[in-house]
Amino acid sequence: MKTKIPLAVCLISGVIMFVQYFLSHPVAISIYSSILDWWQIIFAFTLFIGVAGFIKINLQSISRKKDRPYRLIALSGLILMPVLALIGGTEFGSPFLWAFENMLAPLQATVFSLLAFFVASASYRGFHARSIPAAILLVTAVIVLIGRVPIAEMISESFPKITFWVQNYPSMAARRAILIGIGLGSMTTALRVILGIERTYLSGE
Amino acid sequence: MNRLKIRWIIFAGLALVIIISYIIRIDLDTKPSPLVQKSYDYIESLPESTVVMFCFDHEASSLPEIKPIALAMLRHAIRKNLKIIGLSTFAEGTAIGYMLMTKTAQEYGREYGRDYVFLGFRPQHISVFLAMGESISHAFPLDYLGNRVDTIPMMRAVDNYDDIDMVISIADGDRTTQWVEYAGARYHQKIMGGITSAMITSYDPYLASGQLYSVVGGLVGAAEYEILLGTRAAGNRGILAQTSAHIYVIAMIIIGNIVYFRMRKGRG
Repeated sequence: MKTKIPLAVCLISGVIMFVQYFLSHPVAISIYSSILDWWQIIFAFTLFIGVAGFIKINLQSISRKKDRPYRLIALSGLILMPVLALIGGTEFGSPFLWAFENMLAPLQATVFSLLAFFVASASYRGFHARSIPAAILLVTAVIVLIGRVPIAEMISESFPKITFWVQNYPSMAARRAILIGIGLGSMTTALRVILGIERTYLSGE
Repeated sequence: MNRLKIRWIIFAGLALVIIISYIIRIDLDTKPSPLVQKSYDYIESLPESTVVMFCFDHEASSLPEIKPIALAMLRHAIRKNLKIIGLSTFAEGTAIGYMLMTKTAQEYGREYGRDYVFLGFRPQHISVFLAMGESISHAFPLDYLGNRVDTIPMMRAVDNYDDIDMVISIADGDRTTQWVEYAGARYHQKIMGGITSAMITSYDPYLASGQLYSVVGGLVGAAEYEILLGTRAAGNRGILAQTSAHIYVIAMIIIGNIVYFRMRKGRG
């Protein structure tokens, strides 16, 4: 019973969502709209779980005196933003948007921009022509790197053309193969879940 | 030289290159690529009051690259007097989208509710894409400011995708793909992208098949779009830094290979 009910719910939901795609009857549209609403409601609860988990983990670390200053900053940020929004609103010019624009956005952009430094370091340390395939990859990378910036045309008119060719033929062929593989894999998995063959989502068995 | 010292030199070199690129002012001659030209021409061809949707499908981390793209496309749409519906599928994109839309609308003296609306954020983007195909006011009963969407003047004539000419997804990940897969495939919604450089190749198959109308990609795309608009802004300011960083990375690859082969030769 413990597994039969969830399997039945999954089967019925899966079949409904599949069949409704081909129907335009008001009842089918109404069921479809209700499912979409429920989807959002369930997802909203996962956000609550995320916030609760974040608070729990940070409080545990604080009580164990592990990374205390960082955990306190993280928790104060979690509290500060909703408080600012509740007190001053979220309209243009509000303290909430000021904090977002002048604190959160630059901090996140700074962390993300570190990637450029790691790329530069990795290009020196790891991008070596150890074999013929590695050399081909290296030359292609250099051509695309130049081809994606305006100086390419100043160096040679061929650069953008070669970059275009690399992107639109070998790269796209590989990407299409991956996408087709993902599509077939998704269909197979969906069928296995709907038919109850794949049950790992129930208890990890 | 030890590894840590080399790493520090590489980091400091890159920082120096980028700082100098932002200090000096060189306007690089940027020729618009066919995709940017296609995006610009499409918005240019739309008659006044056509409704377009801007979706801010990104987080704050990609703002330095995403903001010039979003601003260039928004400025064009607002300058053309198009009606704009904004929304976000990321919680962080909500504040960014609202600020960018409001700032740009204020530049041109546009009025909230009459010329543009910001719907805000709803969780679970796929259900949002699908729900808007049935009814936007059902998917978003209230806008970002808490107004009932069905009472907003601009929204009275907008029910679902049938009333929207183009969705412009400003994205730093694969969310534009999901617009194509759900709003495009099921509701035949026309979709355009404003995406980061790193994601461009991910969209090539969708562009080649025509499922994605066009894209403005990365800082280069923003710079090209600005040139078409006739105003060199953040995209053109950043392009020199990006070009210098690319040259720096290429130099690092070359130096790294010279050192590698010399060491290999030394070992016999």
